[in-house]
Order: sequence, then C-alpha cells, then structure tokens
Amino acid sequence: MQVVFMIILTYGLYRLAKWLAKRIPILLFHPLLFTPALIIIVIHLLDIEPTHYSDGTALLTHMLGPATIAFAIPIYKHIHFFRKNFAMIMIAVIIGSFVAIFSTLALALLVKLEQHLLISLLPRSITTPLAMEVSASIDGVPALTIVFVILTGIMGSLMAPFIFKIFRIKTPMAKGLALGMSAHAVGTNRAIEYGDEATTFSTLAMIFAGIVTVILGLTLLPQLVALL
Amino acid sequence: MKKITKIILQVAIIHIFLFLAIGIKALWPVPLPTTIIGLILLLLALQFKLIKLEWIEEGGRWLMAELLLFFIPSAVGIVNYQEITSLQGLGLVLIIGLSTAVVMGVTALVVERLGGRT
Repeated sequence: MQVVFMIILTYGLYRLAKWLAKRIPILLFHPLLFTPALIIIVIHLLDIEPTHYSDGTALLTHMLGPATIAFAIPIYKHIHFFRKNFAMIMIAVIIGSFVAIFSTLALALLVKLEQHLLISLLPRSITTPLAMEVSASIDGVPALTIVFVILTGIMGSLMAPFIFKIFRIKTPMAKGLALGMSAHAVGTNRAIEYGDEATTFSTLAMIFAGIVTVILGLTLLPQLVALL
Repeated sequence: MKKITKIILQVAIIHIFLFLAIGIKALWPVPLPTTIIGLILLLLALQFKLIKLEWIEEGGRWLMAELLLFFIPSAVGIVNYQEITSLQGLGLVLIIGLSTAVVMGVTALVVERLGGRT
C-alpha cells in the first residue's frame, strides 16, 4: 500500500513540477529541485523513514537502467550522422572528460574537501547509472555521487545560455556536444531547445562521455585516488 | 489505454536486453557497466535487424522523456547526508558549478573552432 502511495506521490509532484516549470520557467520549479524538496517535507510530516521512501520507489530508480539502454535508439536512428561526425564527437568527449575530472580534482584540493567527498565527486559529469558504478569502483559513496550528478545536470542546463553567449557559441554541434558532455541527460533535455541536431549531438556526447569516464574509472582514476 | 499497454510491453522488451547484459556480465567479466552492455546489444540487434525499431521506439521514447522522474528518489536521498547542507556543501556547490562551466566552455570552444575548419 505504502509503495503505491509513494510512487503516486512522486509521480504527481513530478507532473506538477513539469506543469509549473512550463508556465513559469524559474529554477524553483525544476523537477529535480521542486519535487524532491516537497517529498522531503511530506515524508517528514508523515513520519516516513527516508529508507522506506527509497525502498518504496526502487522501481523508479530501477528504470534508469532501461532508460540508458534506450539511448541505443537515437544512436541507431542517427548512425550515419554518428559515423560522419565520429572524430569530432570523440575529440569533444575525450577533452571534456579530462577537463571534468582534473578541474574537479584541482578545485576540490583547493578548498581542502574531505577525501570521501572528493572521490565521490570525480565521476559527477556523467549519467547516473554509470557514475554510480565508477564511484563504487574507486571507493566513493555512490549515494553522494548521485546527488553531485544531479547538481551538475541542473547547474549545467541553467548556465548553458550564458556560457554560449559569453563564448559566442553558434553551431548546434558545439552546443549539443558541450551540453551532453558537461551535463549528461539533464543537459540533453535542455539541448532539445536548440533543435534536433543539437539533441542528437548531446545524446551522443552523453553516452560516449559516460564510456570514456567508465574506462578512466578502471584505469587512471584508481591510481589518481591512490596518490591522494 | 492502448498507448499505455504498448509502452509497458515495449519497456518489457527493452528489459530483455538488460537481463541479457546481466547474464553476459555474470558469465564473462566484461569491464563495462551492464547498462552500456545492454545499450550495445540493443544497437547490434537493431543494426542486424533482429528486432524492429517499432517494437521498442515508443517505450524507449517514454523512458527517455521521463528520465528526470527516475532521478527523483535518488535526489531525495540527499536527506541522509547532512554534510551537504553544511559549510562543505557550499564548497561542493561552488566546485560543481565552476567545473561544469569550464567543461561546457572548453568543449563548446574546441568544437566551434575545429568544426569551422572541416
């Protein structure tokens, strides 16, 4: 019974956030800010344990797996496009992934962040299911990594228009690759506003940035973490 | 109602690829996450016409369109980590914001420069 209630609660508040965000496009109504904040208030008022909530909504979290697999569909549909732009996509995600990891590392060392936070922060720029696996493989805390991934996505999609203005980015290719690389699925959601071409590039960048970071998580990152 | 049934069926078909990927990973220690193995399997199945795009297109579109919904329970999980709301939290938000801006800016500039020449 509680499971049904928690899923309906989550879905209802998610729909509400989407409805509000469409009419009043401000940060407050972002589905990843508005909905979790209200849920935290509701479960607190109803005295539901946070662990009960996460167990009850495990089905929703589970869907991240099939959703990631479903990204094979846009790749398949744009396979010619992908082959034609293969080199550019790879250049973008390889440079982007290194910048993501090393800028995070440098800033974290600068503010003397605790080690478990720092490690959990490293895979933050890729899509959740992959970020969790990388986090676990370098002894981070996957639950913390999820939060960092979400913050990255929200901030990335919000700052995109300003970044593109400051650096005078005009082409859908550059916008899409930058969004997918820096802000994964949430950024790809934003790329829809810049058209089909930007969305396709963003999807491809998100997937390949994930793969590059997973490979780095198995090779370079453990050695980097050992040095800390 | 018909659309919902179709989406449920198609999401179930996509699950087959998830289970295949879990099976492969159990038998042979591939150093890739199961979701990436599943993605590759689905792409191959589409490429080699083992399955038709129409069998999964609607379900796949729904999964991708509602992606933010699936993140919500994890976002609620933030309540378990009080440290994020403390002073460390401010530093974290600053790091994430700055680093994301740098990644986005650098990636966009590199592509914009190189793209103009090819």
